[in-house]
Amino acid sequence: MNRAGAKTRWGHFFWAAARQLAEIARLTVLGAVRSRRPKGELVRQFYQVGNRSFLFVLVTLGFTGMVLVFQSCLQLSQVTGDLSQVGSEFIKYLVHEFGPSLTAMMLATRVGAGIAAEVGSMVVTEQVDALQMCGVEPVEYLLAPRFFATLVMAVVLSVFGTLSAILLGGFAAHQTFHVPYAVFLDFDKVRLVDVFTGFVKALAYGAAIPIVSGFCGLRTSGGSEGVGWATTRAVVFSSFAVIVLDFLISALALLTWQAA
Amino acid sequence: MSRVLASIGSAVLALCREIGGMVLLLGYTVALALLGRFDRREFVRSLYKMGVVSVPIVAMTALFTGGTMVIQSGIFVQRYQAYGLLGWGTVYAVLREVGPILIGLMFSGRVGANNAADLGTMVVTDQVDGLRALSIQPIPFLIVPRVLAMVAAMFCLLILGDAVAIVGGMAFGKLLLGVDFASFWASCADAIKLWDLTVGLIKGCVFALLIAITSAHYGLQVQGGAVGVGRAVNDAVVAAALLIMISDDLLTMVLR
Repeated sequence: MNRAGAKTRWGHFFWAAARQLAEIARLTVLGAVRSRRPKGELVRQFYQVGNRSFLFVLVTLGFTGMVLVFQSCLQLSQVTGDLSQVGSEFIKYLVHEFGPSLTAMMLATRVGAGIAAEVGSMVVTEQVDALQMCGVEPVEYLLAPRFFATLVMAVVLSVFGTLSAILLGGFAAHQTFHVPYAVFLDFDKVRLVDVFTGFVKALAYGAAIPIVSGFCGLRTSGGSEGVGWATTRAVVFSSFAVIVLDFLISALALLTWQAA
Repeated sequence: MSRVLASIGSAVLALCREIGGMVLLLGYTVALALLGRFDRREFVRSLYKMGVVSVPIVAMTALFTGGTMVIQSGIFVQRYQAYGLLGWGTVYAVLREVGPILIGLMFSGRVGANNAADLGTMVVTDQVDGLRALSIQPIPFLIVPRVLAMVAAMFCLLILGDAVAIVGGMAFGKLLLGVDFASFWASCADAIKLWDLTVGLIKGCVFALLIAITSAHYGLQVQGGAVGVGRAVNDAVVAAALLIMISDDLLTMVLR
C-alpha cells in the first residue's frame, strides 16, 4: 500500500464514519421527537442516567470545587491578601464554565460508557439484528430514550453538581482560609447571560454524549473484545466532544453575548 | 427498617471488597516492581500501546484545553484590562490543575478502559487460567508491566500535553484576545516556577497509578462474557474518575 492509497483509504473511512454519525444523530432526534418508545422505558432511562449518577456527580464536583477554591485562595493570599472576591468570582465561573463542563466529563465516563457497553453487547449477541427482523428501527428504539434522558439529566445534574461545588468550595474557604460563609456565598456577580451560557453548554453536552456513544456502541463487532473497544472509544470520543464543544461555545459566548 | 439497614450494609461491604482488592493488588504490584520481577518485553510493548498510540488524542485535548483556559481567563482579563496576567493565569491553571485532570481523564478513557477491556477479554476467554496452567504468574507477567508502563507513559504525555496546551493558549490568546506572544511569554516567565510543573507531574503520575490499579482490578474481576466486559470497563472508568478527583484534592492540600 503506497502513501497516497493509505491516505484515500483513511479519507473513505472518516467520510463513512461521519456520514454514519450524522445518520444516527438524525434518527435519534427524530425518534425522540416522534416518541414511539416502549412504555416505561423513558422512566427507566431517567433513573439509569440521573439517579444512578447523582452521588458520583456530587462527590466529584464537590472535590473539584474544594480544589479550585483552595488554589485561588492560595494564589490571592500571596498576591493581594483580599479574599472577599473569591466566592463571587468562583460562583460565576462555576455557573458558566466548570459546573456544566465537569459534570459532562463525568457523565461521559459514567453514562457514555454505560450506553456503549449496553448497546455494544446487544449488537454482539445479535439482539439488534433481532430488533431489525421484527421491523423495529434499533436507533429509534434504543437510542432515542437514552438521548432524551441524558439531555434532561445533563441539565439537572449540572445544577446539583454546581451547588455541590459551591457548598464544598465555601467549606474549604472557611476551613483553610477563614472566609465567612456570608462573604463567600455571594451570587450578585452571576448575570443572566452566565446562567444562559451554562444552560446552552449543558444542553449541547447532553445531546452529544448519547449520540457519540450510541454511535460507538452500534459499530461494535466481534465478541467481548469488540465490546471493550466500543466502550473505550465511547469514553474517549464523548469526553473529547465535551472538550471541543466547551471550547466552541465558550469562544462563541466570549465573542458575542458574554462580551463585557 | 431492617431492609434499609441490610441494603446499606451490603453496599458498604461491597465497597470494602473493591477497595481491599485494589489495595492488595497495589501492594503486590509495588512489591514485585521493586524486586524487579516483571516481564521486560511486555513492559516495552505496553509502553508503545499505551504511550505512543495515545499521543494524538492527548495533543488534541491539550490544544482545546489551552484554548478554553485562555477564553475563561480572557473574560476576567477584559473586564479589568489586565492583559499582562493572561499568560500567568493560563499557564498556572494548565500546569497545576486543568492539565493533569483533563489529560488524566482522557488517559483513563483511552488507556485505562482499554486495559480493563483487554484483561477482561483475557479472563473471559480463559487466557489468564491458561497462563496459570503454564505456571506463569499473571500479576508479574500481565499487571506489573502495564502499571509501570502507564505511569511512565502518563509522565511523558503530560509533559507533551502541557507544552501543546501552552502553545495553544498563546495562539488562541493572540487570535481571540489580541495578546502578543511576547507579553504572554513574559508574564509566565516572571511568575511560573519549576515547582508548578513538578506538582502537575507528581499529580499525573499518581493519577496514572490509580488508573492502572482500578483498570487492572476491574479487568481481572470480569464475569460473564461480553456483557461483563462492558460493565467492567464502565466500572473501571467511573472508579478512576472518582479517585482522580479525590486524590487531586488531597494532593493539592499537601503540595502547596
